[in-house]
Amino acid sequence: MAKKQSEQFFMRLGDRTISFFTTVYEIAVLLVQSIRAVPSVWFYRRQLLEQLYHFSVKTLPIAAVIAVFIGLGATVQGTYQSSELLARYVIVNVIFKTTIIELCPIVLSLVLAGKLGASLAAEIGSMKISEQIEALETMSLDPVGFLVLPRMIAGLLMLPVITIFANFLALFSSFFMSVVVTDWISPQEFVSGLEMDFKPFEMYFGNWIKPAVYGFIIALVGSHFGLKTTGGAKGVGNASTNAVVVSAVFIVIFDYYLGKLLL
Amino acid sequence: MIQVRDIRKSFDGQPVLKGINLDIPDNATAVILGPSGQGKTVFIKTLVRLIHPDSGSIHYDGEDILRMHAKEWQHFQNNIAFVFQNSALFDFLDVQENLNLFLQMHKSMTARQCQQEVARAINFVGLDEDVLDKFPEELSGGMRKRVAIARAMIKRPKYIFYDEPTTGLDQNNAEKVSELINMLKHEISATSIIVTHDIKLMRDVSDQVALLREGTISFVGGKDEISAQTLDFLYETRGEYDI
Ligand SMILES: Nc1ncnc2c1ncn2[C@@H]1O[C@H](COP(=O)(O)OP(=O)(O)OP(=O)(O)O)[C@@H](O)[C@H]1O
Ligand SMILES: [Mg+2]
Repeated sequence: MAKKQSEQFFMRLGDRTISFFTTVYEIAVLLVQSIRAVPSVWFYRRQLLEQLYHFSVKTLPIAAVIAVFIGLGATVQGTYQSSELLARYVIVNVIFKTTIIELCPIVLSLVLAGKLGASLAAEIGSMKISEQIEALETMSLDPVGFLVLPRMIAGLLMLPVITIFANFLALFSSFFMSVVVTDWISPQEFVSGLEMDFKPFEMYFGNWIKPAVYGFIIALVGSHFGLKTTGGAKGVGNASTNAVVVSAVFIVIFDYYLGKLLL
Repeated sequence: MIQVRDIRKSFDGQPVLKGINLDIPDNATAVILGPSGQGKTVFIKTLVRLIHPDSGSIHYDGEDILRMHAKEWQHFQNNIAFVFQNSALFDFLDVQENLNLFLQMHKSMTARQCQQEVARAINFVGLDEDVLDKFPEELSGGMRKRVAIARAMIKRPKYIFYDEPTTGLDQNNAEKVSELINMLKHEISATSIIVTHDIKLMRDVSDQVALLREGTISFVGGKDEISAQTLDFLYETRGEYDI
């Protein structure tokens, strides 16, 4: 009996592992197809413009709320942990760098993996089950060029824009909390905390490279699960859940490896 | 002329199409009649490369479409329009944009010319121009089907495929659709290929009938050659059809 159970467990583990690697492989195939579709990006410019709008304007409000509270939260935590052994501007420096380089990009991307990833997987998935993807093909329109590529480019370009916007808000709310509300530090000291050991490369990294990679992941993974949808409404639900879970896992894994690049 | 030779297709080891042979002459309306679940949708989709068969060949005027490169096929596809079983209108576009999409992407027409084409198509299928601003979810099933037919006709195709054009419509709408299929054939002088289980539709529109049952074509001929016995055999009924 016990043996049977353990056998079953390993078989299921094996199936899961295989299906994980199949998914990774299929996502890689979709990536190659999208790269092949790049020359026709001008042809699909209207779709690209729509997605640029969708990925930016519609996500700014939620990004703003998150950024403000990340700024406040990090500052409260930092000031609470501070001791007399460290100059306060050093703590400001730590808060500043962790927020800009790590906290804001990753929290935002995870939230947007939920918002954008789920919605685009559901959108493409419901097109799949209602034969709309096939209808595109019969109109000589490439589903990858028409649907996937514009979303990938939008993710690549717009997540950095959102993150820069969010980082400014986070910085501002941090300043507001530590200087204006609690009077914990003077404005001059706050600024010298920001200037301390300032490396422009780190700013590019946190504001630009990381969010671009995550935006790309969100669009690619979401599109993949959308295009793979089978079955009815339940299939669409599964597609969007899978899109969120898998892109979130990819994001934290990439976050670690991108972080290691800095060292 | 479309020549289908020995098309086979299985899903997960379950054969659905078991060697289909069929010739469809130019400018004919060919109806492939069969009960539900016999592979009609699978078959009509293999004819336009939406599903790739496991083996067999499909020639359009002597050209094997299964051996065409993607680019060639994309070009050839301009000759083909497909009306899907559940209309498949793009739900993120309104009716105007649904009809316009093909022209906008593939034809060098001015916005004005496109608009005229769209208006013409929508009038042809008997809908008012005020549906143009509506989204597919705001239309009834019958209207959606007519928009789908309008979207197909805007391509001015040589071949037009219909998957169950009357399924899910009431008798009134179903008759309108049959009428449209006949009118459209004359309007754009296309070859029409229809799969359906609707015997009335078959009688109203077909020049040639093929019966599809259990993955093979068991009969090809004119609609008058079909006997009540054949239909009983096809639908596993007894004396329900009088011809
Ligand atoms: N993608 C697929 N994967 C697995 N099986 C499939 C797939 N597509 C079709 N089938 C199977 O092929 C058979 C024929 O399906 P098809 O949709 O062609 O039937 P149909 O004749 O069009 O029926 P209906 O009149 O209900 O539309 C069914 O048994 C179906 O389960
Ligand atoms: Mg069908």
